[in-house]
Amino acid sequence: MSTSMAVRHHSSQKASLPFDPVLSMVTVILLVLGYVMIASATTEISARLYGSPLHLLIKHSVFVVISLCIGFLTLMVPVKRWQKIDWILLVVAFLLLIAVLIPGVGRQVNGSTRWISLGFFSIQGSEFVKLFVIVYMAGYLVRRREELLNQWAGFFKPLALVSLISILLLLEPDFGAVVVIMASVMGLIFLAGVPLGKYVGVVIVSVVTVAGAAVLQPYRLARFNAFTDPWEYQFSGGYQLTQALIAFGRGEWFGLGLGNSIQKLFFLPEAHTDFLFSVVAEELGAIGAVLVISLFGCMITRGFLIGKRAQSGGDAFAAYLAFGISFLLAIQVIINIGVNLGLLPTKGLTLPFISYGGNSLVVSCMLVAILLRIDYEQRLVAASSRDRHG
Amino acid sequence: MTYMRLNIVLVGLLGVALVMIWRVFDLHISERNFLQKQGDARTVRVEKIGAHRGMIRDRRGKPLAISSPVGSLWVNPRLLGDGVEQIELLAEFIKVDPQVVRKKLHKNKNKNFVYLKRHISPDRLKPLIDLKVPGVYVAREFHRFYPAGEVTAHVLGFTNIDDEGQEGIELAYNDWLKGKPGSKEVLKNLYGQVVKDIRPLEEARPGRSLSLSLDLRVQYHAYRELKTAVQRYKAESGSVVILDVATGEVLAMVNQPSFNPNNRAKINLDHVRNRSVTDVFEPGSTVKPFTVAAALQTGKFNVKSKIDTHPGFIRVGNNTIRDPSNRGIMEVAEVIIHSSQVGITKIALSLEAQDVWNMFNQVGFGQSTGSGFPGESTGELPNYRSWKAIDRATFAYGYGLTATPLQIASAYLTIASGGIKRPASFLKSPDVQNVRVMETHVASDLMAMLRKVVTEGTGSRANISSYTVAGKTGTVRKVSETGYQDTRHLAFFAGITPAENPRLVAVVLINDPKSKEYSGGSVAAPVFSRVISGALRLLNVPPNNIDEAV
Repeated sequence: MSTSMAVRHHSSQKASLPFDPVLSMVTVILLVLGYVMIASATTEISARLYGSPLHLLIKHSVFVVISLCIGFLTLMVPVKRWQKIDWILLVVAFLLLIAVLIPGVGRQVNGSTRWISLGFFSIQGSEFVKLFVIVYMAGYLVRRREELLNQWAGFFKPLALVSLISILLLLEPDFGAVVVIMASVMGLIFLAGVPLGKYVGVVIVSVVTVAGAAVLQPYRLARFNAFTDPWEYQFSGGYQLTQALIAFGRGEWFGLGLGNSIQKLFFLPEAHTDFLFSVVAEELGAIGAVLVISLFGCMITRGFLIGKRAQSGGDAFAAYLAFGISFLLAIQVIINIGVNLGLLPTKGLTLPFISYGGNSLVVSCMLVAILLRIDYEQRLVAASSRDRHG
Repeated sequence: MTYMRLNIVLVGLLGVALVMIWRVFDLHISERNFLQKQGDARTVRVEKIGAHRGMIRDRRGKPLAISSPVGSLWVNPRLLGDGVEQIELLAEFIKVDPQVVRKKLHKNKNKNFVYLKRHISPDRLKPLIDLKVPGVYVAREFHRFYPAGEVTAHVLGFTNIDDEGQEGIELAYNDWLKGKPGSKEVLKNLYGQVVKDIRPLEEARPGRSLSLSLDLRVQYHAYRELKTAVQRYKAESGSVVILDVATGEVLAMVNQPSFNPNNRAKINLDHVRNRSVTDVFEPGSTVKPFTVAAALQTGKFNVKSKIDTHPGFIRVGNNTIRDPSNRGIMEVAEVIIHSSQVGITKIALSLEAQDVWNMFNQVGFGQSTGSGFPGESTGELPNYRSWKAIDRATFAYGYGLTATPLQIASAYLTIASGGIKRPASFLKSPDVQNVRVMETHVASDLMAMLRKVVTEGTGSRANISSYTVAGKTGTVRKVSETGYQDTRHLAFFAGITPAENPRLVAVVLINDPKSKEYSGGSVAAPVFSRVISGALRLLNVPPNNIDEAV
């Protein structure tokens, strides 16, 4: 802790803004927007399921407070500390994934065992696993960069690890998390500078594997069919997607206005979680939808630029961590919005900061907090080097 | 090199973002018509706006039939599922065995609409609506209520549960009374609950109200007297019809037995008929005045013409027609006053059959009264060409033809109005059509005879204080499979009051009185007396016979 205290002392003297203003701003805007949209989308569902229109909103408010607290705590953790405990996190990740599969510990919802119930709060292990794997991979890339670039073994070891995690995730099953982790790790390896020939080969193999895993589950194939022609299957597999698309059509340019969504009146399943973007599009129109996409674009670009700055500042771990986190956010956003828009087959993934769900919100806040911390440390380095030179 | 790869990633992500934005505009703007149409197809529904049925009132504005809002409980078995709790709740609410409800739901489990119970009062429904059980709904409907119950049941008829007229005035004027339901476009959520009204499509038009010719006070009075009489004489049935002489309006029409139109669960279908209009009887002696009218109209007879009824019977073909006693030589007027069979037979046999038939036909026998009442019977008036001598005789005293009590009343109205026929009307203030069917002097001669029937003849028990009464009794032997019966009778009285300036015509029929007395003069005439004296007072008719007042 002594380092962090020292650093803080420095910054208060020199840096006018200790945190990336754009990233903090965008995060706050998304959080507020998400809160408003959840308020709009949950009232009817709450009233019907729990007898009180505010039930889910109050629950979400608690999540927001918890998430902000955890986010601030995360902000206090120096980047080096993450690097030191990366293997511990990996062990925790495995423990979470195994624990959820133990009967009596894992809680099943909609046919998937993804939650460990702790009374008021259920932990969704896969959300945390995403972060822990990325932290471990960043550490691995720093330690084994040479091996990764030059030997097949260096390439396959992380892939084996990811495969093992994927198998555990598929047992839940949580296919969405597999795709997010897989894609983020592949993106990270790409940025690490692996020779292209090798890389493309591995990408093809893993895509085929993932696709194979998908086809093995007949319901996913049905989902894919429904995705290619939702109107043909509008009363079976394509139901949710058609309801989502209708939300867009209703929205037109400026939307029906806050609170006026019709699709949220039970027509669109998961309107407050995976399909909240459709409700945004319906209530706030094309303008609102593009605004959300732009905000995420801004957040993700900012994440990559923070990584780039860390890289040029010489902190490879921080750089990989920032890249990995940016990939995590980017892929979740792309898949969720892609699904809402009917560009990708239906997949249960939340939209960070927007969708209802405590685990997603906590981890999203942690991700952004780590990005802000990396940026903060880089600013200190820059400031101290300026001190030295000036 | 890493920067280049980073740039590739960023450009790639930018590309993805642009595809998303393109797709957003594609859906929001280009495909909106298709998507909105699809959306509306799932959410926009047309709802009926109920329109209540018009009120039926009596001539003084008193309500006779009212539509009050009620709710009908219906369920969507597919949404309700078979949760034990809900079914028990519903069963308790409608006070039915849960097993019955469960069976009904099971039988219709693939349907989306099943009525559980129709027509529940809104107060009772409210607690259930507040519970908001999914799949349970309330449809707004109207329940028809008849404040006067059995008193007006036959005239008004009733509606079925879907508010369509089934009998009586409700049926006859169904199109007039019926409301036209409107419709509106509404937005419904997935569970079929209306979220908001979008726009009205068609305005609901409530049914128009209808004012009947009935006077509820007179109707009540007549009903009470008739019911008392039918009970006292242990009669099979009975009817009273009162007409307004000046307009042909039906002021009262009651029958026994009656039914309660507000509770038709245990209804006896035999009690539903409006016997005054639908049932035909042989009118017997009540038609004798019309035979005399035909005779007077020919000019061959006048009031003083002598008829020899000696020796108190006459043979026509193989039949013997008898008077109770030998009255010797009678004047025409006396034939009516004492209701002589022999006298009227002799008159009829000296007339052309066609003249008698024409008179009967013109005063309304064998024809509709023009009341427009559903199921009205026209009775039968067989053609005179097939009449034999005995037929000419029996027609003269009212056998061989049939008529409804309303037809008899309508025929007597012709005498009361000085020879002018007016259609009977159940509606208030009809356009009165006057058709002269009898010469004025004939009508006034008949009035004088009928007056004497009451003052000195068979109808003395029809007399009332303060008013003068003219009328005619009728005692008809009933027909069965074995021919005319000696022990079963119809007791008629047809009367006109006040005799000098006729205002009301009334017919009383007591069908099959099982008492020692059974004649029209002893059974029907007293009922007439009580009914009509009450009616005259209720209608504020000035007394014209103060001298005789008690």
